[in-house]
Amino acid sequence: MSQAVETNLSAAASGAENARNFLRQYALHIALVVLIILSALISPSFLSGGNVSNMLLQAAPLGIVVIGQAFVILVRGLDLSVASVMATAAVAATSFNGQDTDALLIFVVAIGIGLITGLVNGLLVAKRNVSPFLATLATMIVLQGMRSAWTQGAPSGNVPPFYRILGSDSIYGVPYNLVITGVLAVFFSVLLAKTTFGRKVYITGGNPVTARLLGINADWITITCYVISGGLAALAGLILSGFVGIVDNWVGRGFEIDSIVAAVMGGVALSGGRGTIAGGLVGAAILVVVFNSVLQIGMPIQMQIIIKGLVIVIAAAFYVRRAA
Amino acid sequence: MTAISQRRSGAFVRRNGSQFIVIGLLVLLAITGFIVSDRFATVANIMNILEQSVTLALVSLGQTLTILTGGIDLSVGSMISLASVLLSGITNGDANMVAPAIAIVLALGIFVGLLNAAAVVWLRVHPLIVTLGMGAVLQGITLLYTMGPAGKMPLGFDWLAFGRVLGLPVGAVIAVALFLLTAAFLRYARLGRYIYAIGDDAIGAKLMGLPRTKVLLFVYAFSGFMASLTAIFLVSRFGVGQPYTGANFTLTSITPVVVGGTLLAGGRGGVLGTLLGVYLVSLLNNVLNFMDISSHYQLIVQGLIVIIAVSVYVEKKRTL
Amino acid sequence: MLTISNLSKSFPGVKALSGMQLDVRAGEIHALVGENGAGKSTLTKIIAGVYQPDEGQIEYDGEITHWPSPGAAKAAGVHVIYQEFVLFPHMTVAENIFIGNERRGLLGMVDHGQTRKDAAELLHRLGVEIDPDKRVVELSVADQQMVEIAKAMVHKVRLLILDEPTAVISGHEVELLFQRLQALRADGVAIIYISHRLEEIFEICDRVTVLKDGQFVASRAIADVTRDQLVALMVGRDMSELFPPKATAASGAVVLQAKGVSAAGRVRNASLTLRAGEVTALAGMVGAGRTELALAIFGGLPMTAGSVEIGGKSHSQMSPALSIREGIGLLTEDRKGQGLAMLLDVAANITAADLQTVSRNGFLDRARENEIAREEIASYQIACRGPQNPVVTMSGGNQQKVLVSRWARTCRRVLILDEPTRGVDVGAKAEIYRIMRELAAKGIAVLMISSELPEVVGMADRVVVMREGTISGELTGADITEEQIVRLATQSLAA
Repeated sequence: MSQAVETNLSAAASGAENARNFLRQYALHIALVVLIILSALISPSFLSGGNVSNMLLQAAPLGIVVIGQAFVILVRGLDLSVASVMATAAVAATSFNGQDTDALLIFVVAIGIGLITGLVNGLLVAKRNVSPFLATLATMIVLQGMRSAWTQGAPSGNVPPFYRILGSDSIYGVPYNLVITGVLAVFFSVLLAKTTFGRKVYITGGNPVTARLLGINADWITITCYVISGGLAALAGLILSGFVGIVDNWVGRGFEIDSIVAAVMGGVALSGGRGTIAGGLVGAAILVVVFNSVLQIGMPIQMQIIIKGLVIVIAAAFYVRRAA
Repeated sequence: MTAISQRRSGAFVRRNGSQFIVIGLLVLLAITGFIVSDRFATVANIMNILEQSVTLALVSLGQTLTILTGGIDLSVGSMISLASVLLSGITNGDANMVAPAIAIVLALGIFVGLLNAAAVVWLRVHPLIVTLGMGAVLQGITLLYTMGPAGKMPLGFDWLAFGRVLGLPVGAVIAVALFLLTAAFLRYARLGRYIYAIGDDAIGAKLMGLPRTKVLLFVYAFSGFMASLTAIFLVSRFGVGQPYTGANFTLTSITPVVVGGTLLAGGRGGVLGTLLGVYLVSLLNNVLNFMDISSHYQLIVQGLIVIIAVSVYVEKKRTL
Repeated sequence: MLTISNLSKSFPGVKALSGMQLDVRAGEIHALVGENGAGKSTLTKIIAGVYQPDEGQIEYDGEITHWPSPGAAKAAGVHVIYQEFVLFPHMTVAENIFIGNERRGLLGMVDHGQTRKDAAELLHRLGVEIDPDKRVVELSVADQQMVEIAKAMVHKVRLLILDEPTAVISGHEVELLFQRLQALRADGVAIIYISHRLEEIFEICDRVTVLKDGQFVASRAIADVTRDQLVALMVGRDMSELFPPKATAASGAVVLQAKGVSAAGRVRNASLTLRAGEVTALAGMVGAGRTELALAIFGGLPMTAGSVEIGGKSHSQMSPALSIREGIGLLTEDRKGQGLAMLLDVAANITAADLQTVSRNGFLDRARENEIAREEIASYQIACRGPQNPVVTMSGGNQQKVLVSRWARTCRRVLILDEPTRGVDVGAKAEIYRIMRELAAKGIAVLMISSELPEVVGMADRVVVMREGTISGELTGADITEEQIVRLATQSLAA
């Protein structure tokens, strides 16, 4: 009997419910569009070519980090070490003679640092059962120490021109770094949504016990997610160093928080097993637009931080309500 | 019979093992310090360690309580920054304004903590996210208030940081007294027992009708209060409040807590472990200084200690 | 004392209670009976203030009441002993007994000495030897149950609800519990006693209320009803209609053999043989080690001794991956905790154990997956909005069918089902029985773990009974009766 009732319900609901489901599902995209329209109305210069390309340049490194952060959050984790990895990768970029001949070497060293950090994080979390918060906090601190020990306080040296171009130049008006972000986004979206690996990520995050009973190597899946996050953070660090040009010990500062905020805002659930790369990227876009319009409207730059803080709590509360 | 007593003593070590390890490490460090420098075991150096550990002790005392409930307070760093600039900004060198300014920042700390708890309870958002967001908001407000050092403190205010009572640093005496009081509170007050109960089994606490809202309001208000108190000692030490002065405390306040054996999952641990953790961190930095190891490496060592601590104490929860 | 009328409560996808009524008097022990999923737990939680009813009213002590929280109900003198205990594992026994009711001394401070003393006295009065300084996590399950009972004696209880209090205790401890309950009854406390064990109900209760499918069936004085009448009221239909006919052909070849398996300290030297085409039931009391044995065979728990023989090979250690490769399926007892990925959709949950058939070179074939999901939804009549419906919004019965379909697709040799009908409605139950029988007819060896005796008797071709971690006996054919099973499950305790 209850079956019949339910079937009836689902049939009757299809009309109004579909509209509501649509709104729920695309609330984020709608928010982004509304935000852009509002910003454009309030400040005409918002949609100017210069400002748009500026925003896209800023969005690219954040987007790359968010992709990795999403993987980690999907398996019930959190990666606080991304900013530290970014800064270390940036320091690596200036640690050679600043010529393009070293570009490949820099790439290998930087990405290597990211992958190893991710591996350590993953091993601590999966094999030692350390809480992700503490594991990535600890690697963050260790990396920070190694970095400042290596640079003896302040890094000197130049970012090779290759990375300068990657970080700040455009091709046909599209920033190189955005192209890279786009390629990565597509690649990792496919990995997550269309492969058995991606499915195992969702199952492991959704229910680790079930994953084990299904013969899925949940530890390996978890470790891989942290490695992906580490590697992407290192790449983002290289690109960001090319964008800012000068490297200090704190390139990427705040990216750990921003990437978590963007992912959560984009519907990646901290409880694991739910969310998409696309959602996280929309979250990142909203964050960048909000930051930018704060300045465009003429509010002091400090308001960016305040709004960020409010947005993360509101977004999280929104998803709690939606889940209930 | 033997089996039972073995299991008993096993349980005892499991229960108090973290403290033994920390005390062991403390002794080991003290011996190392003794060997590497003849200036280590001097009264001046010990006073120095005690003075330097005050701020870390105060902020991690508050942090311990939030972690015992299974939560965390990531807004303490920004709270310290905000309270610092407000304290020296409001006082602005006027001795008559010191008391009102202190009252204001302490009240503000409590208020911010209550807001944190309210969001945790009524918005049902995880404390990690709530306090992260609150931290950003407070940092923004701090920077709106001032981008640089704000105001100054009148002469004599540095007594808190450098003064002595009974020949001991004022701050250290206050900190240890607060730790003992809090330990007694956790053990002998009903609210204190409920902090453990809620961290141990949140659903059970709800079914038993324990006052979760009241407990959370209390612990986050306490944490905010301790952050403001930390700011007062920081300002006393530096003479002026600065907008980034608390930034590092958010995460470093967690180190002594977990090193002292309090589990991030909540319900187990205590403030005395945290106090040992504080002295471990301070002694470590001190000894490394004597060994001429730069502060860069000190960070590495601190990170490694966190890794070792959490992977040693961690409880295997995995059932399958 | 307590009068409930016209009470209803719904959860997403399922109507848990409708038009419920209950009348409990002071100074009586009132039994609440019904099958799993009849609504006993929901009713309990509403009385305890955990859930709020959608409609209906609760009259307590002559006044219409509404408890917005468990704390409010507790303040009114309502105490519940839940089946899954409410104990704080890292606090001491004494503290657990007095939590919320602390012994206090000077300045309102918690008096730990007094707490310990009173707890020791209380436990002594209860007749059990439990060290009040021990942490609850260090106690046996039976001792934990006794601590729960001691806890109820501290509070100024006016209405006491016990949910399956004897599930994990036996013999002497049950006697102690009954003595306590009789004393409380004499003091004028109203007691609601939920139990599956009808003999207990006839021993200690005064009246009984029967629930079925979330609805009130009848209230009777115990003296006015016989055991058979009570069963008829609970089931409300001829049970035999639910069960498909048993296998008629002789049993097939041996498919799986577990030899001398020990695991997790809960299973000792257990051996088990499963044959093709046969439904074998693994019966026994809760805590007898049935679930652990199933997990060890499947590879979810490490075997500390023994071996599992399947497909002509003997393995001293199994793993879930190996089991799935060898065609073994395990439907776990805990649907949400160990079975489903709740946020994923129906399609993903159905294909989770068999990603190979819905993928090529590591890439998922979504079209194929959806096609499979649609077929399964149709063949098992899973009520949902389609393959992309997240399982979290579905009712327990339909979630269970998703799991059954998952394993039915992959198990080529053996399917183990741990309490497959727990918390599902009657329609889904019959459906699950039918599927089990169909799978057996296809030549699969089915192992069903069940605590429901009518289910065991109605379904099993062979019954293996476990007691305290070991196999205590085996029954076939006409020997399969509730009495025989109970005898084997409790043998040493009765002796």
